[in-house]
Amino acid sequence: MLSYNSVVNDSIKYNDLTISVVESITKINLRGKKRDFITKIGKSISILLPTESNTSSNNEDLNLLWLSPDEWMLYENEKINSENDIYNLEDELFKEISKINYGSVTNITDHWVMINLKGQKVYELLSTSCPFDFKNFKQNKGSVVQTIFNHIDVIIHHKKSNDLNLFVRRSFCDHLLSWMRDAASRM
Amino acid sequence: MSKNLRITNSKFIDQTSRISFKFDGKTLYGFKGDTLASALLANDIHLVGRSFKYHRPRGIMTCGSEEPNAIVQLGNDPSMTEPNTRATEIELYEGLEATSQNCWPSVNFDIGAINNFFSPFIPAAFYYKTFMWPASFWEKYEYFIRKSAGLGKSPTKPDRDIYDHRYLHCDVLIIGGGISGIIAAKTAAQNNLNTVLLEDKNNLGGTTIFQNNECFKINNSYSNEWLSKEIVSLNSLKNLTIKTRTTLAAYHSYNYLLARENLTDHLSLNEKKDKIRQRLWKIRAKKVIIATGAMERPLIFNNNDRPGIILSSSIKKYIDYYGVKCGQKISLFTNNDTAYETAISLSKSGVNVNSVIDIRDKSNSSIVKEAEKLGIKIHWKHTVVNTNGYKKIKSIELMKLSDDGTNVVGNKLNEECDCLGISGGWTPRVHLFTQSGGKLKFRDKDNVFLPTKSKSEQISIGSCNGDFELDDVIKNSNNLIKEFLNINSSDYENLEINCSREIDKKNIWLLPSDKPLGKTKPFLDFQNDSTAKDVKLALREGFKSIEHVKRYTTTGMGTDQGKLSNMHALGIIAETAEVKMGELGTTTFRPPYTPLTFGTIVGRNVGKFFDITRKTPIHDWHVEKKAEFENVGQWKRAWYYPKENETMHQAVQRESKAARDSAGILDASTLGKIDIQGTDSSEFLNRVYTNDWSKLEIGKCRYGLMLNEDGMVYDDGVTTRLGENHYLMTTTTGGAANVLSKMEDYLQTEWPELDVYFTSVTDHYGTVSICGPNSKKILSKVIPDLDLSDENFPHMSFKNAMIGKIRCRVMRISFTGEQSYEINVQSGYAKSLWEKCFDAGKEFNITPYGTETMHLLRAEKGFIIAGQDTDGTITPVDLQMDWIISKKKYDFVGKRSLYRTDTIREDRKQLVGLLTDDPNEVLEEGAQIVEDANKKPVEMLGHVTSSYFSPNLNKSIALAVVKSGKKLNGKKMIVPMKNKTIGVTITETVFLDKKNKRLNA
Repeated sequence: MLSYNSVVNDSIKYNDLTISVVESITKINLRGKKRDFITKIGKSISILLPTESNTSSNNEDLNLLWLSPDEWMLYENEKINSENDIYNLEDELFKEISKINYGSVTNITDHWVMINLKGQKVYELLSTSCPFDFKNFKQNKGSVVQTIFNHIDVIIHHKKSNDLNLFVRRSFCDHLLSWMRDAASRM
Repeated sequence: MSKNLRITNSKFIDQTSRISFKFDGKTLYGFKGDTLASALLANDIHLVGRSFKYHRPRGIMTCGSEEPNAIVQLGNDPSMTEPNTRATEIELYEGLEATSQNCWPSVNFDIGAINNFFSPFIPAAFYYKTFMWPASFWEKYEYFIRKSAGLGKSPTKPDRDIYDHRYLHCDVLIIGGGISGIIAAKTAAQNNLNTVLLEDKNNLGGTTIFQNNECFKINNSYSNEWLSKEIVSLNSLKNLTIKTRTTLAAYHSYNYLLARENLTDHLSLNEKKDKIRQRLWKIRAKKVIIATGAMERPLIFNNNDRPGIILSSSIKKYIDYYGVKCGQKISLFTNNDTAYETAISLSKSGVNVNSVIDIRDKSNSSIVKEAEKLGIKIHWKHTVVNTNGYKKIKSIELMKLSDDGTNVVGNKLNEECDCLGISGGWTPRVHLFTQSGGKLKFRDKDNVFLPTKSKSEQISIGSCNGDFELDDVIKNSNNLIKEFLNINSSDYENLEINCSREIDKKNIWLLPSDKPLGKTKPFLDFQNDSTAKDVKLALREGFKSIEHVKRYTTTGMGTDQGKLSNMHALGIIAETAEVKMGELGTTTFRPPYTPLTFGTIVGRNVGKFFDITRKTPIHDWHVEKKAEFENVGQWKRAWYYPKENETMHQAVQRESKAARDSAGILDASTLGKIDIQGTDSSEFLNRVYTNDWSKLEIGKCRYGLMLNEDGMVYDDGVTTRLGENHYLMTTTTGGAANVLSKMEDYLQTEWPELDVYFTSVTDHYGTVSICGPNSKKILSKVIPDLDLSDENFPHMSFKNAMIGKIRCRVMRISFTGEQSYEINVQSGYAKSLWEKCFDAGKEFNITPYGTETMHLLRAEKGFIIAGQDTDGTITPVDLQMDWIISKKKYDFVGKRSLYRTDTIREDRKQLVGLLTDDPNEVLEEGAQIVEDANKKPVEMLGHVTSSYFSPNLNKSIALAVVKSGKKLNGKKMIVPMKNKTIGVTITETVFLDKKNKRLNA
């Protein structure tokens, strides 16, 4: 049996800011343009696909982030339990969408690492190297932005007030965390 | 012993907090709130440095960023010292050490001052004219010129200070915290606009905050008292962010601005330790209000550069704000009313004002009358024709001006003084407006360039917009702000404003002297020592454009960028060339407005943050095994794994041998991986690759070459058909992101009708590649259930498999020429998989190998690396890979270009193999290949692209591109090196296992 290696295990706490790496969260990329694709996704996971740019929809278990007019990222709230079948959601969607040519379903669980940023200083942290204007983003729960943070592509999902999930490609994660530690240490 | 010129009436200086500092090694004292300049003046020190060219003694001339003379070397730590800092902008702190620049052995006795005596022989452009001949002597001249070039000393060790960057977004950005900036900030913030106010000084208020004069009142309060209350009222505005000690450095298009905030420069050495020194704010503002004020102009007359000659408004700030007298017997020389404000302030503070020398015939403004009431003597229609005193001004000589102002008449008067205040009028600070792309207009009335209406969302208000009277500043600013922000009313309607208005104006750009111009030194650019004579010389020599005159005379090219000198240079050029100043235009104002440290520009992107690094999921294992790493794109890839005392060559030879003899293991996780789905996936691949994809069976892999539209090789990789409409494409490590972007671009813009979807899965999969004769045995231990027989799992095919509960994709593909398997597994499991393979391979001496061995192994087999053996000018035909170009396909990207006249030339550079005559001689990559070294000029036929010593073949091998290479098989060539020539023979590109026996074993 293969064992899972987290990219980083620690959670870092500063005044008014907590940075936690949340791994083993199933993430699936969904792409499609056809009406059937949109209907099928809604039925399969009981969430309507958000069609307004930079928004998201969710239920108790899942979050669906708009990435482009024909692309979404689905991620689960709960961590994967490696004792169970970790491919359930992927298989079901692949069967319902990809197999019948409605669109594409791709497992990207380890393509992105989810980092949870929580606290009063999350936006100050982001301002150290993210050029995005978070004014409207802050006001709208569920907002999504694809931007860069210290020159690295990231997706940021507004979960709650001062509680964000940031997704970064796994290979960049160590560097980005190191940057965040450095920046947060002087806030 | 120096005198103490401090008075005790300043509320801006904390005279209870004494600060010690050193200037030129001498310990002096100042107070909290002082600048280095004000503290030096309080200690009666005027001589601060020497000028660049003539080494003339120079003193403090201003109180702000326009200072040309008082530039000092700050600190003496080799990693922290900073040259060319303006004493007028350095806030005093405990432990500050500053030294004079451009002098040796000391500022008081400077050997370089001998230049001053030779000044008649070294006019403008002396260097250009003198050192042109004989041409061969330039290198000898250069040695001496370079020694004398430059001001100050650069630090010699890495900067220990910390700098950072921040992004800021706002509705309204206001630049300048003077009276008009404060009005703008309050009005904007009161109207629910997210407002940011920047001020480069440590306090808001500009010059009005110390304007305590009967002639300037607002609502019956002194203007400074009224403004103080306004500043206090800003504190209650939630929408307003005020940043003091923050200088706007650059104003780019679309309201993108850069500002530098000094965070700790004003703190003592202990307090500033481990804190961020300076921060660069990257600002996006919806609207920008420029309220940067105006600079006082000097006057241009003979010997106007002596220490003790200071701008009149600066003398006023030193006395009213810092509580420092610039002298005991001060004379003032002016062409406008401003000097009278200074005269009144000095007189009220008990300083003896000798007289005011005014070039105008008369002025009837209230401020002049106020001065007259105080008994201040005024020399109307007079000019200063000379000044005396070497290291500090001692006296001035004045004469009456002729009626037309071009000459002087009558007797010469002498006046003793220890300070001369000069005022030549005001220049609006329009630098930021022009940086943003704004065009200027010229106002003849008072000879100023002013902003015109800008296309971007910005306005200029206050004196930077040409309003110099208090009532104009308030009323016009208020109206402009309301219109700009679309507001109906503000707090600044119907104010009762009393102020003195200047009615009589007169301007003479170059004031006459009793001596001919050639015998005088009327300095224009004080830092670069260029004079009015130099400008006139440039015009006589045919330079007409202001940009050319600037470069010929170096006027405006110092660290102050000619803030004080530019207008006078323009005026003198216009007068001499008899053109209108408005038509002449200005030189270009470029960012930064004041110099920025490199640290501020770079921020935290130094050291480990200099560039982004990517790591594979197996990275930690490589680190544990002490691998050396290579940068490939942004990835850190294991380069080779040296054992004890092994050189790179030894390690690579060992790794290569092991991979061929038994088994090697490579971390191939960095390869780009793109998941492709959709009913038109095969058609899409047909269009982007040169070969045919329609008939690729499910479960099979195929190598593909991707071309640019010009037919040149762009990227390559193996793509696997996972299902009917499902592929996994691999790309080169460095090309992954570009390939995906390019494919998405084609799909969205050229072929939107295709039903295809791409998803990058590069980081989702970790890839372990095991190769060598024993690789199959090792894999069978790792995945026992997988049938690895050649029949079930032949070369260029793929299988899904499970390792426990974890899915993996196994491709039997090879980049080494050995039987080889690439196992792709979710990244989180990749390190565990690697360790499992490594354990399983121990009995076969499985050897981890890095990118260098990978390169060697593929070169033995003649496989190319896109980007190493290709350079954007190589077609597949040049690579002798004609077989990969489908003749049946209707089209693919780059097809048309492959049949252009130039691409079908037979003498193009083509890929060949090279063997050296001496099998132990390894060629250098990049080395040129020639046929005849004696032919002149030597014809370079090609170059070496890859070169290694092959331990498996026991000889040196190389790949190269050579003109007409395809036809030259067996031909002898020469590789000329620095000390030898190496004989080589052109061969086929495949050196090992030409029949692919090992691949299919």
